[in-house]
Amino acid sequence: MILVIAEQCAATLRPVTWETIAAAQQIGGPVKIAVVGVGVSAVAEELSMADVDEVIVVEHAALEPYTPDGFVQALSQVIAIEQPELVLLPHTYQVRDYAPTLATRLERVLVTDCIGSKRRDGNVVLVRPMFQGKFVADVALDGPAPHFVSFQSGSYRADVATRGTVPTGVRTADVMIDTVVIRQHPGTPFKEAKQAVDLTQADRIVSVGRGIKSRDHLPLVQELARVLDAELAASRPICDSGWLPMDRQIGSSGQTVAPKLYVAIGISGAIQHLVGMKGAHTVVAINKDSDAPIFEVADYGIVGDLFEVVPALLAALED
Amino acid sequence: MALLVTCLKWYRRSWRLWRIELERETFDVDVLVVGGGPAGLSAAFHLSTLQKERGGKPLTIAVLEKARDYGAHMLSGAVLDPSTLNDLIPDWAARGAPLDTLVEDERIYFLTRRRKIPFPITPPPLRNHGHYVISLNRFVKWLAEQVEAEGVDVFSGFAGTELLYENDRVVGVRTGDRGLDRSGAPKTTFQPGVDIRAQVTILADGVRGNLTKRLIHRFSLDEGRLPQVYAIGIKELWEVPPDRLAVGAVVHTVGYPLRFEEFGGGFIYALPEGRLAVGLVAGLDYRDPLFDPHVAFQCFKRHPFVSALLADGQMIRYGAKALPEGGWHAIPRCHVDGALIVGDAAGFLNSMRLKGIHLAMRSGLYAAEVAFDAVRSGDVTAAQLGRYASLIESGVIKTELYPVRNVHQSFAGGLVSGFLYSGFSLVTGGWWLSDPMPGDAGHERIKDLDRYYGARAQEVMAPTVTIDRTLTFDKLTNVHYSGTRHAEDQPSHLLVHDTDICRTRCLEEYRNPCTRFCPANVYEIIDADGGEGKRLQINASNCVHCKTCDIMDPYQIIDWVPPEGGGGPKYEGM
Amino acid sequence: MKIAVCIKQVVTRDWPLRVDEREKWIHDRDASFEMNEPDAYALEEALRLKEKHGGEVIVCSAGPARVGQVIREALARGADRAILVESDELAVADAWTVATALAAAMRSEAFDLVLTGLQSDDQGFGQTGVVLAELLGLPHSTIIMEVAIEGTQFRVKRELESGWFQWVVMPRPALLTIQSGINQLRYATLKGIMAAKRKDVRKFTPDSGVVVSRHRILKLYVPEKTKQTQFVEGSPAEAAQKLVSLLRQEARVL
Repeated sequence: MILVIAEQCAATLRPVTWETIAAAQQIGGPVKIAVVGVGVSAVAEELSMADVDEVIVVEHAALEPYTPDGFVQALSQVIAIEQPELVLLPHTYQVRDYAPTLATRLERVLVTDCIGSKRRDGNVVLVRPMFQGKFVADVALDGPAPHFVSFQSGSYRADVATRGTVPTGVRTADVMIDTVVIRQHPGTPFKEAKQAVDLTQADRIVSVGRGIKSRDHLPLVQELARVLDAELAASRPICDSGWLPMDRQIGSSGQTVAPKLYVAIGISGAIQHLVGMKGAHTVVAINKDSDAPIFEVADYGIVGDLFEVVPALLAALED
Repeated sequence: MALLVTCLKWYRRSWRLWRIELERETFDVDVLVVGGGPAGLSAAFHLSTLQKERGGKPLTIAVLEKARDYGAHMLSGAVLDPSTLNDLIPDWAARGAPLDTLVEDERIYFLTRRRKIPFPITPPPLRNHGHYVISLNRFVKWLAEQVEAEGVDVFSGFAGTELLYENDRVVGVRTGDRGLDRSGAPKTTFQPGVDIRAQVTILADGVRGNLTKRLIHRFSLDEGRLPQVYAIGIKELWEVPPDRLAVGAVVHTVGYPLRFEEFGGGFIYALPEGRLAVGLVAGLDYRDPLFDPHVAFQCFKRHPFVSALLADGQMIRYGAKALPEGGWHAIPRCHVDGALIVGDAAGFLNSMRLKGIHLAMRSGLYAAEVAFDAVRSGDVTAAQLGRYASLIESGVIKTELYPVRNVHQSFAGGLVSGFLYSGFSLVTGGWWLSDPMPGDAGHERIKDLDRYYGARAQEVMAPTVTIDRTLTFDKLTNVHYSGTRHAEDQPSHLLVHDTDICRTRCLEEYRNPCTRFCPANVYEIIDADGGEGKRLQINASNCVHCKTCDIMDPYQIIDWVPPEGGGGPKYEGM
Repeated sequence: MKIAVCIKQVVTRDWPLRVDEREKWIHDRDASFEMNEPDAYALEEALRLKEKHGGEVIVCSAGPARVGQVIREALARGADRAILVESDELAVADAWTVATALAAAMRSEAFDLVLTGLQSDDQGFGQTGVVLAELLGLPHSTIIMEVAIEGTQFRVKRELESGWFQWVVMPRPALLTIQSGINQLRYATLKGIMAAKRKDVRKFTPDSGVVVSRHRILKLYVPEKTKQTQFVEGSPAEAAQKLVSLLRQEARVL
């Protein structure tokens, strides 16, 4: 049996949970979902639409606000009772905060940041990126169950998770939490504008290179970034010339990024740039030169004049 | 109001400069060695040997090395004559020196575009019996460890940027400031350079060393000498299927891709584990302003003989470095009050035997002897340090370099005259009708477009070659494999004193040869912002510290200074 | 205040890497190594806390003998002494195995604070610190931007997703994983380098039973591109239309 740990925030289900459910369903076999928190019955109801065996609500006053100590206490008990083979979690900031502790508490290990799974001789093998996305490793699990696995956001498609024909059963698990043992005392979350641009967190990036020819043409690319709700980035020559600040530089002497969408405009694709963005999920390249190395890593390419293609893209996106 | 602002700015700047001086560390040693290459490290090691042999108050010794790791900036073919190492560290084998490949098989070929013609015999000076094919990077790493084990401080990541003087005596070296941004303003991590004061400073800053260059200029140490001339060596390390070339095979080529008027040749050395060191040496005294050594190297690899050796292989490292080729008569005076010059910085390279490491090490040994006595006696004047010159005069350095003193200069007349003279010199011990044979500085030999190409000057294109990124590579891809990295936010370390010349005179006269002779794509001529004319773009962080630009720029307006310490290539395995 | 910082030696970022013959790791014989950058930020934070509150900084690392390079670097920047768990296998081991080895060596010292980087540039598990906290019985918090010491408590600023932050209060002693880029890394000084040679590096060897990974790499390889490059043809307007619909329907990134 695979146990999926759902993630919720302020009694709202976080969509990434559906990706983890899809991962569990791909591996196969019975699947259960656990959701942890306070006032999560609506979340549980939503989850009961999934084609799984059961949804388990793990509710206790001490589980709000989230603390790693609280969650580890609660989930240790649930896992001890449910005895799953695999525990799957989405690789979120919260999971990074408590899942390693949970696994260690149960004398097991967690394999983080996986992007897929396969079967080798009937056993589950995980696939995860290594060396900042330059390589990928097939990882086999040793030792006794349960094994803990976290999946990178975007590695599975949420809409692939199958829904059941009828809602599945929801049950509340009884957990005991010793509040004395909760050592973290979190305050209320607050929002703050980040000081520097963090391209590594961007889901979409529009990147510009020498093909733009002059800083006067930047507004064209900036508009595309705005329309796509993307961050603006650049290859080295643009930042060297001072047309964009250095914290927007992608490449071996700048940032390494792996967004869902990377649009490279007028970038030739020198290896120094490629090492900074090869891990992107979908790469679109627009360049006049069909031999430009950027096309070797692009999923979609348009060989053409960016001064014609980009305005056409803006028009097409408006529809 | 503007006046007030200006006063405030001046005050802040003075305060900041004063604070820098206040914060500047100083540090005293007896002997400071600038440069952690074979010459510098040999000097440091021998000093501690002398210390052990002769006892007395321990000498304090420090070595400065601009690379982040020992040996990271070391690049050579290389075939090592172990004679100096035998004297310096007799038990080198027991200490694990990385000398494990004896030269087994030597061949010389004359290459035409498609064929190779073997030389019937290997001329005696080129014979490498008893020599080792090595990685200079690994050798220097090992040597640095030996030096450290003696208790000598080797400071890697520190570049010597200025000589310190008292009147006309060298009293030490100032290291470069760290933590300056692109405009030269201090960042929060700013650390001013350190003043290291020494009784004797041994300059081992390598080919066209930045400190040696200034010292020579200040004291006219090259007066009455021939101008130093150089070559550029471009090298790649390849991994090929195991039995391509027997381990220990040493192959040298002349001819294609170089023309008869160009000095140089190719080399292929077989190392263990299926590795091949492949490279081309091209004299930096070529005539053709459109010559591109990197393109020539790609052509060398595409020659059927070479491409067959590299087929199905993988290029794993790339690098380039200049070599001093001027020979005996181009060596400047190497001693002044308080300082000595050793190694490639002085130019102790045997251009006939293509060997410089053992002589660099020998000069380090001599310098150690002289420095030791000078410090002990308290007399570090040029008179006392001049014993260095006598050691060079009377020792193996002269014995080896004197007979080949005119070799490089003889190639000024082309390949044929060079070979004829070299053969002749074997018998006559280097004698010639005019001795020394006259020689010009390389950057003065380069002809302008009109004179070289005549009527075709405007339409002739610079040579290019097909780049397939399997056998041949473009410079930018190559630079990636040199492991070169510099902190991005720092002032450019390539000082071009008049960039107007680049876009006007040089563009017309030579078509900006820097864009071709730099093996790292540092210099580019691109359209100026606002679309009017061209401008020079300097990609300083690509620099592999080869010094070719400082040497070869026809107007001599490029000054190479060390970038922030720790930056540069990482020649692992080279 | 006794502050421990766990640092890892990794292959230099953006070093041209190749998979080795056994296809289970990269070819690192002729590689250049450096301190894992996220750990460098943790070290810098520790040095700043020491400057502010006094105490000592002990740097801890695990791996083969060459790890001495990053230990020396840390000592040269100002750490006071070091703990090294020497073992070749630990260079490629999983987070739990490494944390167990470190915990065995660190347990006897009563640290007030243990800092680690967020994750390593090579394996990128991002777990070693958190597992170590559990093994040492310390409370922890992750992705920390700021550390304040208030008597017997720590008040730390934790980063959440999408620009949200949160202050968390914890008792001493504790373990924190530090976010990268929160401070400016200092240079080692000449005096620092000289002093580093005289600083204590205590070496441990892991118990033979410990170095047994709980998961292992079957194969390391270059990710194959799942699709060939699809060139979108036509006039700019046509190509743009086609591309947008491909991005919407096929790649589903819009």
